Amino acid sequence: MINLIRNELMKIFRRPGTYVMIAILVVIVSVTGIFMKYNLVEDEPNVTEEWKPVLQQENEALKKQLESSSIKLEQDYYKKQIAINEYRIENDIPFREKYNAWSFVKDSSELILLAGLFTIVVSAGIVASEFNWGTIKLLLIRPINRSKILLSKYLTVLLFALLMVGILFGFSALLGALLFGLPEQSLPYLNYFNGRVTEQHIVVYLINYYGLGSIEMIMLSTMAFMISSVFRNSSLAIGLSLFLMFTGGQFTALLSMKFDWAKYILFANTNLMQYIEGTPLLEGMTMTFSVIMLIIYFVIFQFLAFYVFKKRDVAA
Amino acid sequence: MGRGGRFLESIVVLKEVTKVIKGRTIIDNISFEVNKGEVFGFLGPNGAGKTTTIRMIVGLMDITSGDITIGGNSIKTKFEEAVKHVGAIVENPEMYKFLSGYQNLVHYARMIKGISKEKIDETVKLVGLSDRIHDKVKTYSLGMRQRLGLAQCLLHDPKVLILDEPTNGLDPAGIREIRDYIRRLARERNMAVIVSSHILSEMEMMCDRIGIIQNGRLIDVQLIQEFVHGTSASYEFEVIPSEKAITLLKTNFPKIPVTHSRNGITMELAKDEVPAMVKMFVEDDIQLFGIREVSKTLEDRFLEVTADKGASDHD
Repeated sequence: MINLIRNELMKIFRRPGTYVMIAILVVIVSVTGIFMKYNLVEDEPNVTEEWKPVLQQENEALKKQLESSSIKLEQDYYKKQIAINEYRIENDIPFREKYNAWSFVKDSSELILLAGLFTIVVSAGIVASEFNWGTIKLLLIRPINRSKILLSKYLTVLLFALLMVGILFGFSALLGALLFGLPEQSLPYLNYFNGRVTEQHIVVYLINYYGLGSIEMIMLSTMAFMISSVFRNSSLAIGLSLFLMFTGGQFTALLSMKFDWAKYILFANTNLMQYIEGTPLLEGMTMTFSVIMLIIYFVIFQFLAFYVFKKRDVAA
Repeated sequence: MGRGGRFLESIVVLKEVTKVIKGRTIIDNISFEVNKGEVFGFLGPNGAGKTTTIRMIVGLMDITSGDITIGGNSIKTKFEEAVKHVGAIVENPEMYKFLSGYQNLVHYARMIKGISKEKIDETVKLVGLSDRIHDKVKTYSLGMRQRLGLAQCLLHDPKVLILDEPTNGLDPAGIREIRDYIRRLARERNMAVIVSSHILSEMEMMCDRIGIIQNGRLIDVQLIQEFVHGTSASYEFEVIPSEKAITLLKTNFPKIPVTHSRNGITMELAKDEVPAMVKMFVEDDIQLFGIREVSKTLEDRFLEVTADKGASDHD
């Protein structure tokens, strides 16, 4: 299996297009970094200002809102804010700090979309191209069953996704450190879960944040992979997956305003951050629900990809 | 027939193989065996089902009914075991053009256990690509790609070599090289080679046996010499006047088929009948300038056979 993955990686990294993708990613991160450095730094708040009274005031306001609120989702949100603010005051953790490398890494997570786009391109081509090139015939007459070959291709897509997100993370951290500097003592991130506040190291938090942020791109790459295997057409796979990547979220948000079944749509469930930092799209949606939905979609995509690939008569 | 005494051991066996695609029978109940050390030619017009059959042998296509075994293992149920002994080029040898020839070979070598770097180098040398092996495949000529294709299927010392139209697009020197090469592999390594083609002269020089396929049916399998010569030979007699000779022949030997030909008359008969003919012509004052044995080409026979069977199919 390792040899098969090495083969797939060789086929990806011996093509110049792959390096163009990596270069684009690096250039865009750089441009964003430089832009931030010269435009936003001036807005930097005075971090030495007395912040405790501000939080105390905020908490009083929040408590009033909590009493007057009757919606469960809102109440939860206020409770969380109050708990975190109190924790900050007690443990002397300011809520703002100077814009630093880690802040930049967090902002760069927006570019996971771009990493996703490139992963989709690779994923869409990894099966379909073999058919286009005609090399599928020589590939499938080796003493290795078809499922293994397809699995090696899928694992390669995952590795490529990991690499792209890794480059994004690593390069933003590096560039962030150069442009904005590392904080002397980085402030921890505060987690609120089941009424309790816990501290989390900022790097651990960011890795989790990137991980959760990559779920949508992994699901869409899996879909592109499925289309690539079923229809042997990389343009269709790229087109459809990218279209959904850019519009799926909005459509789902629109539908969710009117229909309850919107929660079964893939895009309603790809953003797991909504359960940690924000509020869910629809009431009644939980982390467990979304994870189960994601697993169901994943299994359907993989079943289709493998079933068709195994059965297919190769006449390319 | 030049191969006398060698024990024939079949390695590829097709049993009543049928392929139906969308209700159309592409391959209809084909059975044949290929032995170790022989070159088996698979002959038929375009669209007869050669490539489909080859695709089924190597497991690229499903078999609707019947079975194919390679070295005793069914391609349907024990794919990996069966295909382990097979090296093949199906249609054109398509390679990864953005990789070098060597990288292509490394790619395929990684897919089979136990192929060393030395083995790759040895194979490259064998097909005569040593000079250009590290160049990108997109810079290769068709002949070089064909050789790389051959290297790709020889990496694991297969017992069965399957080549679909191996001389397609090659120049005469290349064709000859491939042909000699195939013959040598069969002879020296006791490989079974299955070659498909629609070029008859090629097959005649390359194969020990041929199977003729037409409209998805195997209509004949024969040793190449028997196939070409049939049971009786043809002789051309240079005679003047030929009209008189034909009339004479028809009255004396009405059963012998005779036709006009360019230099006289041609008749089908056994060798020991020739002196009687000469005697008859001389006694009747027909001038006889020469006698020549006319061997039929594979082409003649092929057209004969396919026409016969084709006609009887429609009756």
